Amino acid sequence: MQWSAFDDPVHDSQRAYRQLLSTMAEPGTVEDMLESPLRPEDAAIGAACWATLLTLCDLDTRVWLTPELAAGGLGEGLRFHTGSRLVDTPAEADFALVTPATLADPTRVFNEGSDIYPDRSTTLLVVLERLDTEGPWRLQGPGIPGFRRLGIGEGDALMSRLAANQSRFPRGLDAILTCGARLAAVPRSTRITSSRVEEADPCMSQ
Amino acid sequence: MNDYSDATTGYNFAYLDEQTKRMIRRGLLKAVAIPGYQVPFGGREMPMPYGWGTGGMQLTASVLGQDDVLKVIDQGADDTTNAVSIRAFFERVAGVTTTSATAEADVIQTRHRIPEQPLRQGQILVFQVPIPEPLRFIEPSEEETRLMHALEEYGVMHVKLYEDIARHGHIATTYAYPVKVDGRYVTDPSPIPKFDNPKLHMAEALMLFGAGREKRLYAIPPYTRVESLDFEDHPFEVQQWEEPCAICGARDTFLDEVITDDRGGRMFVCSDTDYCQSRREEVA
Repeated sequence: MQWSAFDDPVHDSQRAYRQLLSTMAEPGTVEDMLESPLRPEDAAIGAACWATLLTLCDLDTRVWLTPELAAGGLGEGLRFHTGSRLVDTPAEADFALVTPATLADPTRVFNEGSDIYPDRSTTLLVVLERLDTEGPWRLQGPGIPGFRRLGIGEGDALMSRLAANQSRFPRGLDAILTCGARLAAVPRSTRITSSRVEEADPCMSQ
Repeated sequence: MNDYSDATTGYNFAYLDEQTKRMIRRGLLKAVAIPGYQVPFGGREMPMPYGWGTGGMQLTASVLGQDDVLKVIDQGADDTTNAVSIRAFFERVAGVTTTSATAEADVIQTRHRIPEQPLRQGQILVFQVPIPEPLRFIEPSEEETRLMHALEEYGVMHVKLYEDIARHGHIATTYAYPVKVDGRYVTDPSPIPKFDNPKLHMAEALMLFGAGREKRLYAIPPYTRVESLDFEDHPFEVQQWEEPCAICGARDTFLDEVITDDRGGRMFVCSDTDYCQSRREEVA
């Protein structure tokens, strides 16, 4: 099986984009994307990640792929369907396809934009083992009435990178989270705390 | 699924080509991630002049889907020139269903008003913006205003409001009243009357702003703090009217003055025609 494009490029990508826009506008909400388009059996990325790449990438975007996700010829598939340029260093990329393990490596530096043009930053496209609304991560900020919870499995490296956004705002990294066909987003405006730390607080005050 | 038989052929769905839509879509994601920050985009020429809502139209075209229901208003009214022509445009190039009922719409493009009926989660409000830079009247250089935003140097905005107080005894700015979004960016809410400013705060709908001539887009996500700039001793206030709407009797809406004759006769009516009409139908 090969990497395939959307059956209906105009309307399928519009539908996928609205899900992306809605998850970015309301961080911590999880959307289920359509199972199509198809990917090779040995692909390391799910339907939501592939649909996001097909929706947002074209010949104007630079993409960096972490080596552990390149299985099944993803690089060639992406170049063929979108015309995106693959770059060698993550700091050059508009979109970086990563896992929490990639982010645990501190030598992986991404583009955070500048104070004058904070929009010229890398968007992380994160492939996760788990993605749901129950977990230790507490999100607050624009798009969130009160707070929302997010569970992402072994994602401490991801969340510590995103939590660091707060001290650099408006510079920062925005993350689109995917797990199979599930989609969520954490923009740089979101304030992240871990309830594990909060639970530890009473002990410390004793 | 809609029937496209009435739609004009020979154009891509919703007029813009897919490459342009993707560019605007990527920009909108960044705009949502940095609330109130103006993202530059490669504005395209639209089949109407600048100043008629080309920025709003490009945003609408980029987010609109075939199953969406579209509403277009101009100063609150569904039946004025700008609203009628933009609605007809999207009926022709996208074949979408249109409505004048605020509650039924998925996407609402607006010129200078926010509907009276509170918007719900999932709705998208697209504003047409003439001048996206709130600091432009004070500092003509784009390079300088960008730097001022980067350094959060917004003191001059308060000086401008203070000059109002010095001259008129109160803040005389009545529309395009500057706001601060999520405690960071000072943003122009487009020329909506300041009456509508409180509706921006913690709104349930996503609000997108597009300026076609200036080629800037920005966003206010739902559930976001939006404060109108003011002073402790001169707090922000909205307009008030002494009489209710002459048609529906509403006392809590934004009213337009309508001149009825050449002998000084006038009446005040709701600017939001859909809201006014639905209230009249309730009473009847």
